[in-house]
Amino acid sequence: MHTATKAPFKDRAKAALADRTLKLAIDRTTGTAETKRAAAVANFPEFQAARDRGRAIKDHVIANLGHYLEMFEKNATASGAQVHWAVDDAEARAIVTRICLDAGAKIVTRSKSMLGEEIGLPHALADAGIERVETDLAEHIIQLAGEPPSHIIWPAMHRTREQVADLFREGHNPPPEAEDPATMVQSARRILREKFLGADVGISGANFLVADTGATCTVTNEGNAELTTTPPRVHIVTAGVEKIVPSTAHAFALLRLLVRSATGGEMTQYTTFHCGPKRAGDADGPEEMHIVLVDNGRTRMLADEFREMLRCIRCGACMNHCVVYRQIGGHAYGGTYPGPMGSVLTPVLDGLAASRDLPNACTMNGRCAEVCPVEIPIPTLLRAWRTRSWRERLEPGSLRGGLGLWAWAARRPAIYRLGSRIGVRVLRLFGKGGWISHMPLAGGWTGHRDLPRPPGRTFMEEYRARQKGTRK
Amino acid sequence: MSARDTILAAIRAASPANDSGAIAAEAAALLRDPVRPALAAPALPKAFEVKASALGTTFDHVADMGAVPQAVRRYLDGHGLPPSLALQPAPALAALDWTGIDTHPALAPNEPAALGLALWGIAESGSLVIHSGPETPILLSFLPLHHIVVLHRDNLLAWLEDYAGKLAAQAIPRNAILITGPSGTTDIEGSYVRGAHGPGFVHVIMIDGG
Amino acid sequence: MPGKPNPRVGLFVTCLVDAIRPQIGFAAIQLLEEAGCTVEVPQAQTCCGQPAFNSGDDRDTVRLACQTIATFEGFDYVVLPSGSCAATMVHGYPELLAGDPEWAARARAMAAKTHEITSFLADVMGYAPSGRRLAASATYHDSCSGLRELGIAAQPRALLSHVEGLEMRGLPGNDVCCGFGGTFCVKYSDISNAIVTEKAEAVEGTGADLLLAGDLGCLMNMAGKLHRRGAKTRCFHTIEVLAGQADGPAIGEEG
Repeated sequence: MHTATKAPFKDRAKAALADRTLKLAIDRTTGTAETKRAAAVANFPEFQAARDRGRAIKDHVIANLGHYLEMFEKNATASGAQVHWAVDDAEARAIVTRICLDAGAKIVTRSKSMLGEEIGLPHALADAGIERVETDLAEHIIQLAGEPPSHIIWPAMHRTREQVADLFREGHNPPPEAEDPATMVQSARRILREKFLGADVGISGANFLVADTGATCTVTNEGNAELTTTPPRVHIVTAGVEKIVPSTAHAFALLRLLVRSATGGEMTQYTTFHCGPKRAGDADGPEEMHIVLVDNGRTRMLADEFREMLRCIRCGACMNHCVVYRQIGGHAYGGTYPGPMGSVLTPVLDGLAASRDLPNACTMNGRCAEVCPVEIPIPTLLRAWRTRSWRERLEPGSLRGGLGLWAWAARRPAIYRLGSRIGVRVLRLFGKGGWISHMPLAGGWTGHRDLPRPPGRTFMEEYRARQKGTRK
Repeated sequence: MSARDTILAAIRAASPANDSGAIAAEAAALLRDPVRPALAAPALPKAFEVKASALGTTFDHVADMGAVPQAVRRYLDGHGLPPSLALQPAPALAALDWTGIDTHPALAPNEPAALGLALWGIAESGSLVIHSGPETPILLSFLPLHHIVVLHRDNLLAWLEDYAGKLAAQAIPRNAILITGPSGTTDIEGSYVRGAHGPGFVHVIMIDGG
Repeated sequence: MPGKPNPRVGLFVTCLVDAIRPQIGFAAIQLLEEAGCTVEVPQAQTCCGQPAFNSGDDRDTVRLACQTIATFEGFDYVVLPSGSCAATMVHGYPELLAGDPEWAARARAMAAKTHEITSFLADVMGYAPSGRRLAASATYHDSCSGLRELGIAAQPRALLSHVEGLEMRGLPGNDVCCGFGGTFCVKYSDISNAIVTEKAEAVEGTGADLLLAGDLGCLMNMAGKLHRRGAKTRCFHTIEVLAGQADGPAIGEEG
């Protein structure tokens, strides 16, 4: 079984590693992201205290999730919004699709939402025969490419500007006049503008659900969320239940962390609270607002060792700073959420058997946790998946056998020392001089790098010999 | 069992229910001594202008509302724009003398320029606050290429929390929006391009006097 | 925090040092003795259990943790020439044994006196090497576990600053993982290779004669890659340089 589930990740990773254009694209964006985040943190000397506070706010919400969800529901309903609940992705898709069909929707505009991706909304809308227009620039790029997002903040991170130019030349009529980013952005603005105003339904996610007002909050830099949610007759919000905050002020405390961690900015260009449908006399706004609160594994996490992952505010800093993500990019992970946070979440969403490679494909270097704005101990959570994978016997038999034998010896010091003595002597046979450059069964190492050839005696042998020498 | 009941039951099974008074007290404690960055300058107008300018917002200063049309004209002329303006349907703006500028209430999909009022400015972040309402179409802040905003210096707030306090003290509108500079994107290779779907230019006319 | 004047230190050599580079163990003994410690090397030591810990094999890790605690808890201090193994003992053991009151207490007590060697020398013993000369340029890689789990960054640099003639050069991405990751480097060898290739390029870019680090696993990974690429960089554990052994063979050089 495990070879069947393991092979795809390794194959995907291998293909990604061979794609030098992909690496170029990733380096360009993550490099900028890392530099800008570092500058933003340096400009906010209280950042660590802000992280502690942000973590405390999220922990408070997680500990009182039922209380706040009911408060949110009550206030959102009072504002005229209709609140729906979905246990899983299928329920969430069905609810959204039904609302769209009831509204007679032909064109739906979407403002980037990773939850929408998580519940499979793009396909569900297509299956319902509804034209879906992605309005975030990156989502627009990958819609033209027919791809899923490869990053939660920069969904088109895997595309270089040259590749975007190719996509726009094909997909924009007329094509952009030039292929510099600014001109291409203007072309997308022109193409999407008419879609905004002609849409029947606008779908957004939510960065925060504000319990004491019943408002949902979106943050964008492009202004596409407001153009998505204002003109259509119906506005649908899909959000994970963990997005709750007690009040607007709590949302701001988290927003300070989110923006700095995500893009290295200090404030998103547009921070918008959406509270119910258009009011009597309002100049514009939708006539209906629906909020779909999605569980999809989150209450399971609440009950187990992955509870701390519910703190995640989806900033993407962990992936920008991950050595593995920066080599293989987001698609190789194979889940909705890539990178370190995705390696914790994907086993929740897709099952551990199908994704056991993800928590294992990590060097445990801890940089993700170091930059996490809400201090999620990501390596510890990845290790928890490894423990589960080991317990459920999902790890390869060769590893289980090898490690078992080694551990058996390690509990018997005399045998272990003997094993080490024999081991170094055997190892020496495979090399000449100071290095071993090829060794059977060690291709994982020697396929890529040389192995220092051990000296003839272990430290323990040498130490005992010296001890005897001093005693004489 | 409905999805709602299933979800809430799962939450209750995982977390013991707390007394709502205790929850409120804890939530309030989390807002005490807010952790926030220092203002860019001791005086709010300066702090606001520094932050907003850093993001590309431009400024003009006038003594009173009566001088707004001239300031608008200066801006339009400076950008080579025709003397034409979508005007927020607010009495305070309608009452001004718009001689020489064609003002209209309707917004074209590619409206070149629009003028609106901001309720507040937030010094911490350089953000302008707009609330939807009968006199405030949201699209007025999003469709135009040039968004000109009138802000009274008395309506400057120091921190985001101060705005949260203002919002909590009133009936919340359908949309409450913090606009922080012109629209932009970093979606192509992470490098910033100004002017995405929203306005490419945000210009603040600050009313300095009474 | 000043330590005891003549503490009894249990040296945990680590598996890799035992098998691949005994010199590091002897450098540790030399430096600890210079710092005024009485050093013992318990013969019952084997492995801290990290390979099992990171593979999710908690049962075997617990057994090795208890064995290691029983072997070392009687010392004033436990010192390791590895941030990674030290972090396993300092953080991993108490976390893993948290559910067992007796062993949790013993794990915490031992964690409190367990140190990676450069931080022990600098922070606990207030030691600085003297009379060491090395005419060379060197760059330093911060191994991840030591850096992030134990806060080791200033100590090795401070100690190295006492080596006369040694010119330290900054390594771009000094705090970025080298791609070793224990079993990761063989389980996901293609990814590991891509990571260590970038690290090797950065090291070569400094033009430094020496690459120093505090963990033999990372050093073997980087040294092996540098050698495969034909780079002339010589690799040593930080404490080999501190002990004046850098005139001897570097990692991968025959002694």
